[in-house]
Amino acid sequence: MSESSQKISRRDFFKASGLIAAGAVGGGAVLGGLRKARAAAVPVKPWDSKFSACDMCFNKCGLIARVEDGVVTKLDPNSKFLKSRGMLCARGNAGIDQVYDPDRLKYPLLRVGERGEGKWKRISWDEALDLAAQKMEAVRKDYLPCGHLFSAGTDLHSQFVGRFAEVYGSFNVTSHESLCLVSNNRAFLDTFGEVPFADVLNSKYIVMAGANRFEALVTPDSIDLMTAMRENGCKLVTLDPRYTKTAALSDEWYPVKPGTDMAFMLALAHVIIGEKLYDPQWVEEKTYGLEQLAEHVKQYTPGFAADQCGIPAEAIARIARELAEAAPAAMIYPGRRSSDYEDSTQIRRSFAIVNGLLGNWDRPGGLLAARVVGLKGVPYEAPWYDENHEDRIDADKVPMMFEHEGSFLLTRDAVLAEDPYAIRGWFIYKTNPMATVPNRKKTIEMMNKMDFVTVVDIAMSDTAWYADLVLPSQSYLERYDPCSGLQGSSACACVVKRDPVIEPLYESRSLFDVMKGIANRMELGEYFDFTIPEYREKQLRELPGAEKILDRDGVYYNPSKVYGIYDGRIYKTLSKKIELYNQRYEQMGIDPLPVYTVPTKVPANRFRLVVGRNALVTQGSTANNALLHQLLPTNTLWINPNAAKKFNITDGDLVEVSSSVGRQEIKAEVTDRIREDTVYMLSGFNTLSTRQHLAHGNGASIAEILEGGYDTVTGNAALHTTFVTVTRKVA
Amino acid sequence: MNRKLITIAAACLITFFTVSMAFALGGGNGRKGKFLYRKNCYKTCHEEKVGGLSPANKTQAEWTAIFSDTSKIPCHDKWPAVPEKDLNDIFTYLHDYAKDSPSPAKCS
Repeated sequence: MSESSQKISRRDFFKASGLIAAGAVGGGAVLGGLRKARAAAVPVKPWDSKFSACDMCFNKCGLIARVEDGVVTKLDPNSKFLKSRGMLCARGNAGIDQVYDPDRLKYPLLRVGERGEGKWKRISWDEALDLAAQKMEAVRKDYLPCGHLFSAGTDLHSQFVGRFAEVYGSFNVTSHESLCLVSNNRAFLDTFGEVPFADVLNSKYIVMAGANRFEALVTPDSIDLMTAMRENGCKLVTLDPRYTKTAALSDEWYPVKPGTDMAFMLALAHVIIGEKLYDPQWVEEKTYGLEQLAEHVKQYTPGFAADQCGIPAEAIARIARELAEAAPAAMIYPGRRSSDYEDSTQIRRSFAIVNGLLGNWDRPGGLLAARVVGLKGVPYEAPWYDENHEDRIDADKVPMMFEHEGSFLLTRDAVLAEDPYAIRGWFIYKTNPMATVPNRKKTIEMMNKMDFVTVVDIAMSDTAWYADLVLPSQSYLERYDPCSGLQGSSACACVVKRDPVIEPLYESRSLFDVMKGIANRMELGEYFDFTIPEYREKQLRELPGAEKILDRDGVYYNPSKVYGIYDGRIYKTLSKKIELYNQRYEQMGIDPLPVYTVPTKVPANRFRLVVGRNALVTQGSTANNALLHQLLPTNTLWINPNAAKKFNITDGDLVEVSSSVGRQEIKAEVTDRIREDTVYMLSGFNTLSTRQHLAHGNGASIAEILEGGYDTVTGNAALHTTFVTVTRKVA
Repeated sequence: MNRKLITIAAACLITFFTVSMAFALGGGNGRKGKFLYRKNCYKTCHEEKVGGLSPANKTQAEWTAIFSDTSKIPCHDKWPAVPEKDLNDIFTYLHDYAKDSPSPAKCS
């Protein structure tokens, strides 16, 4: 895509955003007014308005669906929904096109050709559930319960995949998070004792390294960041090899050399400690290991960091002083996706440590602890199977994997090697590893290892395309969902739920109904012997009146404490303090303080391929959305003009991008918004599935090119360690 | 007859707690411990009366201290006769998912 066409897309986006904002502050009245004028002649209610929560990404923004004659005609933001500040983004508006996508799965399909050949036979739900149960029983009998893998994406029904796996007896459950945020969570959990929420709104100084909050939207942070900057004078410093929209709106942008953020952070710590810019009493009372840290960071001078990351030493020292001056209302923004390098946990530990020195924990403008939401768990007594493997298939490969998330890459390697045991069945719900996991060919190999793969999804994703049985799931506007507790930083701690806004389309069923149907056929029905409304009653048992408020407002707020949550409480670490120096790491043979490693040099005539987001893309699930397709018709390869010139590439040329694992063709977008040694493309395009007519054969699949490195502490994917060649395709 | 039964039961309990105070803590099967905890402890005491006791309610040190002398646990007299190995599995579950553990338990 050319830069000019990118500008048109951006204008379109802001136009759409303007409409959305109008909707938030009274657009409903404006549009409703037009409707009412028409309705004056025919006295019928023009539309029903029904609360729901968006499902186009993980944020779950509150919305109001306008329904006419059983059809959703518009999605408006719920102005009472504080977490999103009454906003519904372009993707949120495009939720309609997910529901009414002509490519949507309509009935159960059984594969009749080879995997990936695209030959399917329509079958009934009874046949489908009988078959799924029979195959799962067979796998459990032949390979023990852990011989079956379960994978679920971010969804309010995904907890029922976990419940099913547990009562079935498998420990092997993976989520999307080991392709995303687990190293960030690991680092902050191991420093502060919990994963924080950033009080962006009240911050005076934010350093954002690698995060792109004005495009990769996180609520309320994305909206609050703009408010903080425009209304509260917050300063934003961005480190990113790309000139993102966040970079464009920052006070300062540094095109940091990829993989060197840790050097920058340790140099900040060097200055803050060396010049005693921290609050000595706070650090003494609340943190552990200042002495060791001080000794450790002596070597990481601003000059050293400047040589590594390309940011001038004077700027590094100045930023450290400015941060300290603004502290505690200052922060190194924790970010979210941290699946970048093989030391991504230690990189984020360096972020966390600087925050510790700023004394910003649990204070306005800093990092906040989770607030009380009040939802309760719904426990169950899962059976125990003595005849089973002892642990997960990916156990003991890295020292600090989150067991409830697993590591997809380690699981895949173990499945392929059949080490320590064989896995032959795979149940997948609303996640698309074929589009999101590096090295797509290897994921196909993993598929080929399976005796039977069942996929439940709304669309024929690439993962569904390679499955044996594909079951059509309901969209978020067609089903009952369990309640969900959301953390909205200083904005709120709240509860949302979803009720059906329209009748389910086609033969779609909810994941819960699918699990219940299979469980009933496997004598596991007792674990699913309830309805979603009954389940919600149990979740809400300690929040009397909450259900009524949810029905009235579409959201329930718990007026719980925001700041000072840790007053008089210990930190959940071994030292019971914020661990600048991590004692458990030392015990486990992991560096207790982050040790900087120089990233592998980009080989001659190659580029580092980096991953990123824009506001119109959610992984592999939005490229086939008709509305979003209008705003973003394809993906392109960002390449710097100097690099492009060297390889005789001009804007719009078709280029081949090759790594050690795959190659793709894509149009070049020659732009100075990226470093010379780096190239970038969006994910989700060029599906193998022909049943995604807007995404198939369109652009390039980044999953085909990315290699499969991982973080050595958590097993999180390392998505920024692939080097590629870029060659102009001759017509 | 009744007195005889009570004496036998008391002897069993004394044996159980004496053994439980002496066993080596840790290294058990935490997965099985989760199952045993739910079966033996959660439904009996910790679901309704305490509002649900989770491993993440206490630190690893606190769980270790508790299991080092089980007789001090307020509800110990309501415990069924759990074999030593099972008790260690329960301890391993509670300890390994404690609030200051690498993977604090989430509500379930």
